[in-house]
Amino acid sequence: MSDAILIIDQDTSHARALGIYLERKRVENHMASAPEEAMVLFGKIGAQIVLADPGFPDTVVVALLKRIKCAHPRVQIIIMTPPDQFDQAMAKLKSDAVHYLLKPVKSTALDMALYQARSWISLKRRFESTEKKYKALRHTQNLYQQLFDEVPCYISVQDNSFRLTATNKMFKRDFGDEIGSHCYAVYKHRGSRCSQCPVADTFADGNSHSTEEVVTSQSGRQRHVLTWTAPIRNGEDEITQVMEMSTDITEIRQLQDHLTSLGLMIGSMSHGVKGMLTALDGGIYQLETGLAKNDEVRTHRAFGQVKEMAARIRKMVLEILHYAKSRELRYQSIDISEMADEVVGDAMAIASKHGVELKANISPDLGLIDVDPTWLQAALVNFMENAIDACIYDRSKQEHIVTFDAFDLAAGQICFIITDNGLGMDRETREKMFTLFFTSKGSQGTGLGLFIANQVIQQHGGSITVESEPKQGSRFHICLPRTKNDPSRLAPAGGQNTTGVKNEIDDKK
Amino acid sequence: MKKILIVDDDPNILDYMTSLLEDNGYRTFTALDVREGLEIAKKEIPDLITLDLEMPDEWGPRFYRKMSQEKSLKNIPIIVISGLSGGDHAVGKAVAFLSKPFDRDELLKIVKETLHV
Repeated sequence: MSDAILIIDQDTSHARALGIYLERKRVENHMASAPEEAMVLFGKIGAQIVLADPGFPDTVVVALLKRIKCAHPRVQIIIMTPPDQFDQAMAKLKSDAVHYLLKPVKSTALDMALYQARSWISLKRRFESTEKKYKALRHTQNLYQQLFDEVPCYISVQDNSFRLTATNKMFKRDFGDEIGSHCYAVYKHRGSRCSQCPVADTFADGNSHSTEEVVTSQSGRQRHVLTWTAPIRNGEDEITQVMEMSTDITEIRQLQDHLTSLGLMIGSMSHGVKGMLTALDGGIYQLETGLAKNDEVRTHRAFGQVKEMAARIRKMVLEILHYAKSRELRYQSIDISEMADEVVGDAMAIASKHGVELKANISPDLGLIDVDPTWLQAALVNFMENAIDACIYDRSKQEHIVTFDAFDLAAGQICFIITDNGLGMDRETREKMFTLFFTSKGSQGTGLGLFIANQVIQQHGGSITVESEPKQGSRFHICLPRTKNDPSRLAPAGGQNTTGVKNEIDDKK
Repeated sequence: MKKILIVDDDPNILDYMTSLLEDNGYRTFTALDVREGLEIAKKEIPDLITLDLEMPDEWGPRFYRKMSQEKSLKNIPIIVISGLSGGDHAVGKAVAFLSKPFDRDELLKIVKETLHV
């Protein structure tokens, strides 16, 4: 489109006068006296502004103008008409024309009308260009939003009080739509910020920081994540927010755990093994001297000690073997009540030695269950020993009691509830208790016991729910399907094993 | 009768060392952790202390540091008995370092030499 003006006027002398005026103002213009001629000329010169006299009563020009306006909305039409046709022109063309002038046209009125028409055209151009840019921007924004959402990582943006200001799709899926909540509450269910916080570090120094964390999703499933942070700056180059990107490395961790654990295990357990061997030495010494002195009490006690140490060493060796080699379960149909009695019997020896009361409530006719008895019993004994240990380590109370309930649920499930009034666990311990090599028992624990016990229950398709409060004690609720082919064994991913963990104990041994 | 304080978090080992040392003519006191150990040490002022390094809550070296700040305790000889390897330097002024499981004759010899110098 050019800046040329098309003049349509049957009054050729008036048209020519206008043409000369415009020429003087260096405005290109073309004249047409008949509508057909005007149409051809319009197409040829690509006029932006049409200056026309409708030439009533004939309406051919009006129809032509309407056609032009319809096909080229940006073209501006200025009408010039004798006073007696002014109202008629307005009535016909209405807002299709930008301006109405009286004939003969005064130069100032023409200048003003042209000025307005040109302003309108330029505004329209700017608007169209802005609209185009806006569309491109929106497209880009959509693209980035899609990237943000679809990246297979948890992404959150946080302000300097660690509140979430934006999260991506994967984050929302696993941790909920928690805009405004604190990062530590959503990721770790904590009441205050973590002591090691990469976001805080990035706010402090503007650099990217990385940590590895264990976080708990809405469903209670634990995820190992590798976290990277990046600063987000405002126009003044101040860090106003920090983006945190967490990659789920749970599976890699599990693999790695397995690959590296054997060496690690020897390291982490050597102290425990040495302690056990020393205690075994002690038992042997007491046995020797008891026999030599004919001291029956000492001999008896020594025998108990040797037995206990042999059992502990046996258990540790079994755990190591279990861990070293992932083994298939060997299912057998066994009498649950009998097995429960044996579990209580095993635990009774340790409980009574340390003055912990043990109460068992086992329904007598629980019937049969399909399990691997060796491992299930070991797992249950492990929970019992943890309960007893939690009591032994608790110096805040004199009286300690551990209870063991075994009963069946109508749903074809066998449940065990183990409670103690010992140390109890804080949230962090609860969440880590089933983690490999985590122990709260110092050198007395290997960090394998609860890890394996949890794995055994999981392999049997069972679930564990834990409730615990520091200083109050803990309650483990373990449920197992009665038969091997029970569809409920196909527990959903992230089933309740670690899910229901509301508290914890140590996985010591 | 010379008094020996045994600090170890394993009750079985406390039991063992108590029998061993009492059978050999020493009087013993036992503590399961650092806090208890310090309490008994202040009360009884033992002639010798055996110390485990790795215990829940507080480690053996902390016991040693706290003990060194007490005038009445700081000159009591210490024998470290630990399952940690390379812990020799954790308690600099220990008269001996025994690794678990320890040789009981060696322990008795060190105790005897330390107390009868």
